[in-house]
Amino acid sequence: MKDNSTSRRRALLGRPRRLFNTLAATGLAVSMATVGANIAIAPAQASSAPIVVWVDAARVPQVKAWEKANPSVKIDLVTFDGGDNGSGSIESKVSLFNRVGHGWPDIVFSGEANDVQKLGTPPFNFPAVLNQGGLLPKGLLKGYAAGTLADCYIGGKLECLRNDVAFDVLWVNVALMKQFGYTVPTTWQQWQAIGEDVAKNHPGYIVGSIGDDFDDEIYLQAAQCPINDEIKPYTILDNPADANCTGMASLLDPLQADGALSPSYVFASTYGKQYGVSSSFPNGHVLMMPGPAWYSGAIFCGTCELGELKGTVAAYPPLHWAASPRTYTGDVGGGLWIMSSHTKDPQAVANVLVGLATSTVSQNLSQGYPGYIPAAKSWIALQDASGFWATPLAPAFATAVSEVWSGWTETPWDTIGIWTDSVLPNLTAGDSVSSQLPVLGAAISNYAQSDGFTVVTKP
Amino acid sequence: MSDTTFLPVPTRAQARTGRGQAGGRHRAGYAFVAVYLVLLILFGVLPTAYAVYLAFTKAAGRRVSVGPVSFAQWAGLSNFFTTGRDFRFLPAFEHIAVYLAIWLVVLVVLVLALALLLHGGVRRTVPFFRFLFYLPGALAGSASVLVWAFMLDPDISPWHFALSRLHYSSMPQTIAPGHLPVIFAVIAFWTGAGGWIVVMNGALNNISDEVIDSAKIDGANAWQLAVRIKLPLIKRWVVFMLILAFAAGTQLFVEPQLLGAASLGMVSPTWSPNQLAYYLATQNGNFNYAAAISVDLLIVGLMAATLLVFRSKLFQLD
Repeated sequence: MKDNSTSRRRALLGRPRRLFNTLAATGLAVSMATVGANIAIAPAQASSAPIVVWVDAARVPQVKAWEKANPSVKIDLVTFDGGDNGSGSIESKVSLFNRVGHGWPDIVFSGEANDVQKLGTPPFNFPAVLNQGGLLPKGLLKGYAAGTLADCYIGGKLECLRNDVAFDVLWVNVALMKQFGYTVPTTWQQWQAIGEDVAKNHPGYIVGSIGDDFDDEIYLQAAQCPINDEIKPYTILDNPADANCTGMASLLDPLQADGALSPSYVFASTYGKQYGVSSSFPNGHVLMMPGPAWYSGAIFCGTCELGELKGTVAAYPPLHWAASPRTYTGDVGGGLWIMSSHTKDPQAVANVLVGLATSTVSQNLSQGYPGYIPAAKSWIALQDASGFWATPLAPAFATAVSEVWSGWTETPWDTIGIWTDSVLPNLTAGDSVSSQLPVLGAAISNYAQSDGFTVVTKP
Repeated sequence: MSDTTFLPVPTRAQARTGRGQAGGRHRAGYAFVAVYLVLLILFGVLPTAYAVYLAFTKAAGRRVSVGPVSFAQWAGLSNFFTTGRDFRFLPAFEHIAVYLAIWLVVLVVLVLALALLLHGGVRRTVPFFRFLFYLPGALAGSASVLVWAFMLDPDISPWHFALSRLHYSSMPQTIAPGHLPVIFAVIAFWTGAGGWIVVMNGALNNISDEVIDSAKIDGANAWQLAVRIKLPLIKRWVVFMLILAFAAGTQLFVEPQLLGAASLGMVSPTWSPNQLAYYLATQNGNFNYAAAISVDLLIVGLMAATLLVFRSKLFQLD
């Protein structure tokens, strides 16, 4: 019986097994040969080929408007997610294109402020250097306010142009403020006092949010919390126990606990239903909200989900930390226009890049405050001419653009992503902001070291 | 009177055609297997070989030329040590271990229970229920995760009353880190169980009626019939299911990746080891580290499969 079964097994498996073995051996040999072969870098497309531009959905109107104004230039428009929320789509694609040696787009828009810091380093080495070889028109860079191009520089090399600047301001519903008899605060401490009063006397209204991905860049950056400060190349100052960090966290804790800060994120599917205009809340629930400039197009606009009414919302200059000599604010993103270093005709592509980033025809349709000053002037004039805002946006925006704290460096790792997956779930579960500072500091330290940086707690 | 059956003695002519027919059947079998084999080599064996090559070589550094072909520098086990020391490595494997513990137990128990219920069920209703169980499995993995992304969001889920009973009033509460292994096990079960129920049902149908009838005559009730008779006879199928479920489970990717995107990043992008490998390849551009983690997963899967195969003597013919 045993002999029968063994011989049957051999008979059944013998021939196919030999066949399989041969095939497997051939396959292995073939794969060994192909993987090691040097792949020649294929030349980028010829200059008569269309220029490939990757943008996210929000930037499509800008590109289309520029195309219409410049019909002689052929553009191949591709939409993707813009790298939003740390999806890393650009890095994924560039890794793969680098591996096969072709396929890079000519121009990429990124919604992630740290993308150039990542893409400009090995193994990606993707962006073209713009401030050499005369690619940019003379004097163009002077048209950017000081510090607004900081995220584009690696060493002395400029590797992108800003689309919009995303400094944080204080958004205020002036109708509600008047209704409740509050004066618009100028310091964080005054803002907290109003928040406490609102929680006690006007429950259901909020003075800010603590449920967003980017709250670290609204609150901690404004407080000058040294938790992601690149003090020297490849060295990060990461001290969550610093008085600036703990001071801001203790300011936020009571507001979080008594519900004056919304625990939801502004892009939640039901945010409009929860906090927007309704019959019982004819001016919505949002009394005030520290937030980035692009809330003008994404959150507080007439057609946005909150449904704010005309003439009720205004932007005020960023809040000032009472003990600090000058005002600092945070910034949340702001898009970057990046040119590929693999293009065949850099000058032609650079011209398109400059057009998209700085021309008024493109920037007038920007969702946020343009980084290029002449375009910004045109944009803000359009906003204020619409008559939607209670008071013109220009004064607050003009103040805030130069108050962004530069000590919150954009680095190859994404602090927004780190806040979202390390801290936000705990805040949702009810933990206080103060308790999460060490968690944030430790997570940043891990990512920094994993990317080859040294982490210090004292400068 | 003896009950003998007379077998027709094949004539020489018949014998020749019989052998020809048997040979033809064998050839057809080889043809089918060959198609599968080609695909297995192209999309299974070659990528695995490439991954093993990458796992043992360095990402950067000198290349060694052998004629027209160049190979990357030998790295020994350094890729494995570096990835093993990464701060995300152990948490990812912890997550997947908890997930597997829940998923495998739920899968085996519920699939067998449902298959046995089907097998013992009323003949007319069986095809309908089989179809019903199988239906979620017809959705592609990513589509089913999207269905669940809606179902888990208390604000838009049709089951919000159930979620509010659990005190979840927002999506971030539902997908709190401690809940994730259970959520992914539920999603994986919903998608995968149907197919396995059909397979187990088929295995149960292969049990000859004589065995079942003689057990009933001996006085076995439904429970004893299921546990003492049917289950041991389909043991090999259960082992087969365990091997495939274990392999698929260790390589969990779509569910955490899509839920992460749907929640705007509240699920870590490196929750599972497969995600960590993907992250290292695409975000850090280091395909060699990714290959090292993939080889780790391959070894784990092979070890489990070997253990199960030899313990249950899966390939031994009776």
